[in-house]
Amino acid sequence: MRKTLSAALLAAMAVATPALAEYPEKPIEVIVGYSAGGGTDVMARTVAKFLETALGDGAAVVVKNMPGAGGQIGFTEVANADPDGYTLGTFNLPAALALTNDRNADYDVTSYTYLANFVEDPNTVVVSAESEFETLDELLAAAKADPGAITVGLSSLGGNDHFSANMIAQASGAEFTLVPFKGASMARTALMGKHVAAGTMTLSQTASFQDERSAFRPDVPTAKELGYDAQMSSLRGIVAPAGLDPEVEAKLEAALSAVNAMEEFQAMMAEQGNPISFVSGDAFEAVAVQQDGVARAIWEETPWK
Amino acid sequence: MYSDLLHALPEVFALTNFIAVIIGVLAGIVVGAMPGLSATMAISVLVPFTFGLEPLVALGLMAGIYNGAMYGGAIPAVLLRIPGTPAAVATTFDGYPMAQKGQGGFALQVAVVSSSIGGIASAFALMLLAPPLSKVTLLFGPAEVFWVAVFGLASIIFLLGGNPVKGLISACFGVFVSVIGSDPIYGNDRFTFGQLELLDGINIVILLVGLYALPPVIDLLETPLKTDSVEGEKLGTEPIWKALPKMKGYWKTWLRGSFIGIWIGILPGAGGSMAAFMSYNEARRSSKKPDDWGKGEPEGVAAAETANNADTASALIPALTLGIPGTAVAAVMLGGLLVHGLQPGPMLFRDNPDVVFGFMWQFLFGAILLVLLGGSLATNSFARLLNLPRPLLGSIIIVLMLIGVYSIHGRMFDVYMMLGFGAVGWVMDKLKFPLPPVVLGLILGAFAEENLRLALRIGRGDWAVLFKNTTSLVLVALTVAVVVGPMIKRRFIDSRKKEGEA
Repeated sequence: MRKTLSAALLAAMAVATPALAEYPEKPIEVIVGYSAGGGTDVMARTVAKFLETALGDGAAVVVKNMPGAGGQIGFTEVANADPDGYTLGTFNLPAALALTNDRNADYDVTSYTYLANFVEDPNTVVVSAESEFETLDELLAAAKADPGAITVGLSSLGGNDHFSANMIAQASGAEFTLVPFKGASMARTALMGKHVAAGTMTLSQTASFQDERSAFRPDVPTAKELGYDAQMSSLRGIVAPAGLDPEVEAKLEAALSAVNAMEEFQAMMAEQGNPISFVSGDAFEAVAVQQDGVARAIWEETPWK
Repeated sequence: MYSDLLHALPEVFALTNFIAVIIGVLAGIVVGAMPGLSATMAISVLVPFTFGLEPLVALGLMAGIYNGAMYGGAIPAVLLRIPGTPAAVATTFDGYPMAQKGQGGFALQVAVVSSSIGGIASAFALMLLAPPLSKVTLLFGPAEVFWVAVFGLASIIFLLGGNPVKGLISACFGVFVSVIGSDPIYGNDRFTFGQLELLDGINIVILLVGLYALPPVIDLLETPLKTDSVEGEKLGTEPIWKALPKMKGYWKTWLRGSFIGIWIGILPGAGGSMAAFMSYNEARRSSKKPDDWGKGEPEGVAAAETANNADTASALIPALTLGIPGTAVAAVMLGGLLVHGLQPGPMLFRDNPDVVFGFMWQFLFGAILLVLLGGSLATNSFARLLNLPRPLLGSIIIVLMLIGVYSIHGRMFDVYMMLGFGAVGWVMDKLKFPLPPVVLGLILGAFAEENLRLALRIGRGDWAVLFKNTTSLVLVALTVAVVVGPMIKRRFIDSRKKEGEA
């Protein structure tokens, strides 16, 4: 009896010993809150592939899709997982935090350890190629002349394109009629068929919401350059549950930075049309806190539900 | 516009893509030949498994299964007078009498050739009509799509058959299911009971597998009946090239059946069984010897089988261009497209021409392969399939269903939901509630609601936005015609009857 007891104790001690030098000693799971094949999923799979190389030592990184409720099922799963470094997740800003305003969510901005953000996809104000509007000023002038006459097609309420429209409206004093479609592709089709006057997704034309001009569309001016204080984009990064061991956190952050430095990785992301804007650790957390504030401010000003 | 069609061709002939079509056709014939198992069921069980496959492999399998199953249904229809699929009911009228006269082999050959011709015609219709239509669909904004959905809901009337009340209840059940989840504009929860899994609404594949696949399988296990075994020798088959000359005279029936099938396929709501009935009736009406029909007239088999295959590819015309599936099978196929990140609509033709046009070719080759695979080499062996032990078959299908549904989102919740729908479907089946209106209610109900609300938002709350342009008005007129037309016709017939009595 005593023998087995001590053996059990030994086993318990072995588990308790932080075997950090060997991390990771089993496969790391990356939870994606969207279906396989979508933009976030493709990014996660690309990062996972290179993260295995960066961690070395035969590390295994596995992507697990848990789609549903606009990503909420996946975000919740990550927030509630053990912070042992074996469960990571993709994190979409502002969507992940925006939805905590309009419904019950089991997590908030403090539920995560922010590891690294990879993608920053700037929102742009777009109109159909045959539109009567040539510049952003013309569009905004029309929206001011007859408040609500300009319809803006969105992928949903509470998404980055919704916030973009809101910000530009606030910065310019114009008023739009927001039309939330079911997904970006429907909104895009409606825009092309001129059923809505404008869109705020990431396509082309009139004005970019970025501080700096995008490498993908260098000819499009930013909203700031045109004199409107508005900047919005869709961010995608990797997070872990809050309370991650600092050593594991450091190791993961270093590995993710190494991933970003790989030429092959950069080439693959560019090919997928993913504009990279790498921030890690505290800088990423600051971005998340700022985005949370933006979403809350918009929610308090103009609740969408 | 059609140059993309040619560009897509080499890809279709890639070994794996072509083998996918061949396997699909063979599997389709098998599934169709099993009484109770339908194309809808086979494809909905298949869709979750195609995740990891290349898009054209997955779509090739589906195109093959659809074509194969529509013919496969004729095998038990002719030999045992049990339609293998609902669409094969009209095939029994003349097919079975032929078999009794010892012409079963010839009946099956007529069926396979007619099926193939119908399928080829349908594939051509898809190739010719879809690309120009995809250009026009940009004209379809929320208001127009709303009317298309209303038109489709109205044409459910066709499906109501003998008992309109039961049909309407079925349709309402479908519309109710479409309401579950967050509402399409504001995202308010409806009937989700706090379950995050329900927030996105009910996945159509889960409903279809539960509703269409489970009840027939339970049926299969419930009545392990031993049907008369089918002996290959009794069929009296001769090589198909010798049988072909005897079918020369059917070209008019083939042509008519193809047109009817294609038209019914394009209409949202109606499906293969209605196409087969209409084609059979029309062919009989224009026959010189209508009295022979029902007593073993090969042309009757030709009429039914041409039409039920001619609605396959054409059902995808509204599905691929507008995203509105005309039949349950088309709805499942759309699910298959979405699994591969292919969003139907005009963008599909621009962004993924190789996949869309490749899919169309696969329909054509599926139809052509039908005659080679089903006709010349294997009809005899397929007929023997009917002797397979049913409990074995049933259990295999149930296992496939469970794995398949689980793999869509990787969660047990969906499996329980599928079993729940299966129970509902089983009860409905026993009480003779028709199932197709449920699916159409689900799809079209969601479309109608979402687009009505979007249109009103664009029109800033003014209902006039729904009647603003010609496209809308044409669709309104069509809807009225669909609803009022049959009533007037019935009134007309009634009054004529009265005159006759008086």
